[in-house]
Amino acid sequence: MDGIVNVLQYAVDGVAQQQQATANNLANADTPGYTAQTVDFETSLQQALSSPSGGTAGVVVSADPTAAASDGNNVDTGTQLVDAQKETLQYQTMVDMLNAQFRLISGAAGGSFS
Amino acid sequence: MSLFGSLDISGSGIDASQAWLNTTAGNIANMNDVSSTSQAAYGEQTPVFTPVGVAGQVGDGVTVASIQEGDTTGIVQFDPTSPVADAQGNVRVPDVQLGSQMVDMIQAQFDFQANTASFADAKTAYQSALTLGT
Repeated sequence: MDGIVNVLQYAVDGVAQQQQATANNLANADTPGYTAQTVDFETSLQQALSSPSGGTAGVVVSADPTAAASDGNNVDTGTQLVDAQKETLQYQTMVDMLNAQFRLISGAAGGSFS
Repeated sequence: MSLFGSLDISGSGIDASQAWLNTTAGNIANMNDVSSTSQAAYGEQTPVFTPVGVAGQVGDGVTVASIQEGDTTGIVQFDPTSPVADAQGNVRVPDVQLGSQMVDMIQAQFDFQANTASFADAKTAYQSALTLGT
């Protein structure tokens, strides 16, 4: 795992998966017995980046441990809506950073920096 | 998961909420139905939501597996002036509670809005992805 573009690319995909999980949780906000899903890519990315030999980053889908309501559903609509906003902003930020990297590469290759 | 998967997922949530809004509307519209005691009463309709997806992966949204029909026994009421009243003057009316239907309707409306909000968020993110390299 090296190169900022690779890292960002991986993170963008990870956030897209998180966004999908959030959309899925909201779609199932009133499905009896449904357990909310969480997606974690940060932990393995962190490990891959900090280990000198590198490593493989992966996406882990797990069940949200929040206690369920009487119908067996544990989706907190408020939390999920906040997550959806947060993930969108994170996604946009990383796309902006990728674009900045692309401009640097393009400039270094003799093209325009803007 | 398809391209722009989050949009499909939110769309499935919007469809499910719409189905729920429809059943509550139908239940409220039929709550004053009157039938003869020899016939069944209108049964309260409730959509059965089921998650879509493969275990261990991010899910693919929600679907309405079926529409469950509630108890058609209803409530036998004394209403001798009704044209469908039996010899004892009784009629059968549906066992639909307006209060719980209104609560369901508001919940379905909030679900609809929540799915619309997450649809908009996903759309914003995808639009920013389309600016990559431009």
